[in-house]
Amino acid sequence: MSLTRKKKEKVNEVPTKITWKEIKRQKVLLFWSFLIVVYGVVFYYLPLAGWVMAFQNYKPKDGIFHSEFIGLAKFEQLFHDATFLRVIRNTLAMGVINLVVCFVTAITFAILLNELQNNNRKKVVQTISYLPHFLSWIIVTGILHGALSGSGIINELLVAFHIIDSPINFFAHPKFFWPIVAFANIWKETGWNAIIYLAAITAIDPCLYEAASIDGAGRWERIKYVTLPGIKPTIIILLLMNVGNVLNAGFEIQYLLGNGLVKSVSETIDIYVLKWGISQGDYAIGTAAGIFKSLVSIILIVVANQIAKHNGEERLF
Amino acid sequence: MKQKKIISLLLAATLSFTLLAGCGSKTDEAATDTSTDAAATTTEATEGAGEVREFTAFFAVAGTEINDDNEIQSILAEKTGVKVKETWLTGQTDKEAIGTFIAGGEYPDFIEGGSGTPQLIDAGALVALDDYIAKYPNIKALFSEEDWDKLRQADGHIYFIPQFGTVKNEEKVCTHNDEAFWIQTRVLKWAGYPEVKTMDQYFELIESYQAANPSMEDGTENIPYTILCEDWRYFCLENAPQFLDGYPNDGSVIVDPKTLKIIDYNTTPTAKRYFQKLNEEYKKGIVDPESFTQTYDEYIAKLSTGRVLGMIDQWWNFAFNVNDALKQQGLDAQGCNYVPLPITIEEGINNQWHNSGAVLNVSSGLAVTTSCEDVDAAMKFVNDILAQDLHDLRFWGTEDVDYGVSETGEFFRTEEQRMNASDTAYKASHLCTYSYFPQYTGTSDDGINANRPDGQASEFYDGLHPELQECFAAYDAKTYVDMLGTNEKPGPWYPMWSFSNSLNTTTPGGTSWVKIAEVKHEWLPKIVMAEDYEGAWTDYMEVYEGTEPQAFLGEMQTELDRRMEEAAKYN
Repeated sequence: MSLTRKKKEKVNEVPTKITWKEIKRQKVLLFWSFLIVVYGVVFYYLPLAGWVMAFQNYKPKDGIFHSEFIGLAKFEQLFHDATFLRVIRNTLAMGVINLVVCFVTAITFAILLNELQNNNRKKVVQTISYLPHFLSWIIVTGILHGALSGSGIINELLVAFHIIDSPINFFAHPKFFWPIVAFANIWKETGWNAIIYLAAITAIDPCLYEAASIDGAGRWERIKYVTLPGIKPTIIILLLMNVGNVLNAGFEIQYLLGNGLVKSVSETIDIYVLKWGISQGDYAIGTAAGIFKSLVSIILIVVANQIAKHNGEERLF
Repeated sequence: MKQKKIISLLLAATLSFTLLAGCGSKTDEAATDTSTDAAATTTEATEGAGEVREFTAFFAVAGTEINDDNEIQSILAEKTGVKVKETWLTGQTDKEAIGTFIAGGEYPDFIEGGSGTPQLIDAGALVALDDYIAKYPNIKALFSEEDWDKLRQADGHIYFIPQFGTVKNEEKVCTHNDEAFWIQTRVLKWAGYPEVKTMDQYFELIESYQAANPSMEDGTENIPYTILCEDWRYFCLENAPQFLDGYPNDGSVIVDPKTLKIIDYNTTPTAKRYFQKLNEEYKKGIVDPESFTQTYDEYIAKLSTGRVLGMIDQWWNFAFNVNDALKQQGLDAQGCNYVPLPITIEEGINNQWHNSGAVLNVSSGLAVTTSCEDVDAAMKFVNDILAQDLHDLRFWGTEDVDYGVSETGEFFRTEEQRMNASDTAYKASHLCTYSYFPQYTGTSDDGINANRPDGQASEFYDGLHPELQECFAAYDAKTYVDMLGTNEKPGPWYPMWSFSNSLNTTTPGGTSWVKIAEVKHEWLPKIVMAEDYEGAWTDYMEVYEGTEPQAFLGEMQTELDRRMEEAAKYN
């Protein structure tokens, strides 16, 4: 389908012949795009050469060129390691949970905000809600640690309202960990993520709302039949991009909030890489885990894109 | 076609560009290499030029940075011509920090790698110091020939200088710098200073005190017993079984001194009893429910409020911060200071919480990296600050400002000076101990004074709060050490932790060691919190066996045998 589309475009366009004259005419453009290409090659593609480490018994002393080549042994070791399988599960679980809840809350929040009639209040709410985005995770986890500790505000409130008898130590129970991470993500990112949806909503032609009202659509109907379809392309594109990010379920938050008791659910692939790759000096296994993560991400994004394409929706490529 | 040509042209251009960039850094390296050599031969010439040379240092332990215009640091800089900018570990483990340095390939001039030291040596990041050590008498004098030999790595070179465990002249010890069951003096005072010899008595005392006094004078609720178990500091939870059975701090295993065999303290009956006791106390609400989730900072903050009645810890892990905080808030008057108790699992076992003699840490120390451009100047600085006058400046401060000298030549401090020495702001702006550079305890060359204030018996005793003095007197003790009693240094293998600290996943035993730590981090809190202790212990033992501890114990045994053989050569 994309092929036919490209062909169509080609027919419509008058193909530019590349001549010296043409190049001269576009020299400024070429120069700048050249810089971008250099940037991309240097910072995105050259470092990939380091992937070769995953197939070596890499020793920093010997470097990439003199380390012993061991083929796929490190990958085999990875997939025989129960810990690694567990971190994949954790990463996927937290990634999906985060994706879903952040997505839903951001869209809901944007729509609600849009429905606010008073412009000043709207601005105040919007500003306050996206400010947490600028806090670093270390601060957010510090606040969480304080708020959820045995003598923290959450426990005090729960006890005061007689919901529980004695304080719960939230960080000591594995079952609370994923919800806490999801909650932290919502708290920190909802306001920020809503901005792009708000922008998309603003771009919807006000005539459509007017027309809908005249046809007897209430608020709920206007949201359902005008707003949501209006921001659908934005939603799909962002969803696609986020699917590729599922395995980036986070590092700081799990690293900072985790402890021995919840380790079985808190460790993500990134923490695994840090622990076994950097800390233990086994850079090969760290790289192998990193490659695995990248490959899965690429597969996810391609599959999601194909599905979108199949359904005739917007897509990335 | 033309399009392709242009693309290939572009590619070629980029490629040559990056190649050039690559070469650029290579030549840089070569240049610094040669300049190092040149500098090495011309240090004498640069001496006395009057300008201060700045070195950088990174220590893979938590620490406090001092101000850039620190006064004693400036004096030291004037006298030695060198100033060292020290940075410390923050929010990472030592191995993570070191691993990141290695991956980056650039290092500070000085480095203390902690348990990441073997990686640094593997990566070729450290300079072999053998020749420099021979050249500088103060450094050479730090250790005996036998000890220096112990520091030699597999390739026969010495790469680092341990900073601690160096006693000069007569040993002077007043504090118990190591692990113990600590308890606040107010608890002991309330109970009329009873004899506390077993873990059961210890918890019984805490329980009855807590029942009678649930809060502090200002109404803050007491925390009867807390356990720190963040990351590597979980020794506060895990290694007590060795002490309870009357063995010294080999740290990762017990060594039977008669048969010279390695014993695993994780699976002994004592271990099971110890954790069972903690389990019971946890259910009674005596063990702080936040124990297993608190960070080191939260733990220190908690102790600093004076709320915690007791805990297991190493003196160096809490005392410097906590004692200063208690003193600054006047909480020592309420009896919030900690004293150690000679606790074993049963009465009648000789406790070895304290051992006399220097402990040589053969697993890490101060090292100079390949990024250092002038190794000679760096080592000369290490040598200079070991001289007695500069050493006094580091640990006592400036004369008449931080301490006075009596007619007999004895150093003393006034209460105000002690207060200053425990004030964080004053320490940052005035004092500079270069605390992770080589140093001495013991007696000064003048034969009168201790090398540090905390070793000076008169100064130590005067500096104690009356509450502490009273407590010591009640137990017929003059120092912290007297509270426990002291022991001869264990055999020449001691301490085994200096070997297990340097293990990593390159050997099966090392892999098992890492896995054991993983399992213990998860399971020890679990069994302490378990409803059904017996069942949890069985589950724990099953998972523990899955880490193949035999591989680890085997490598420890091999190292023990090797150390005994080495030691035999010097007898």
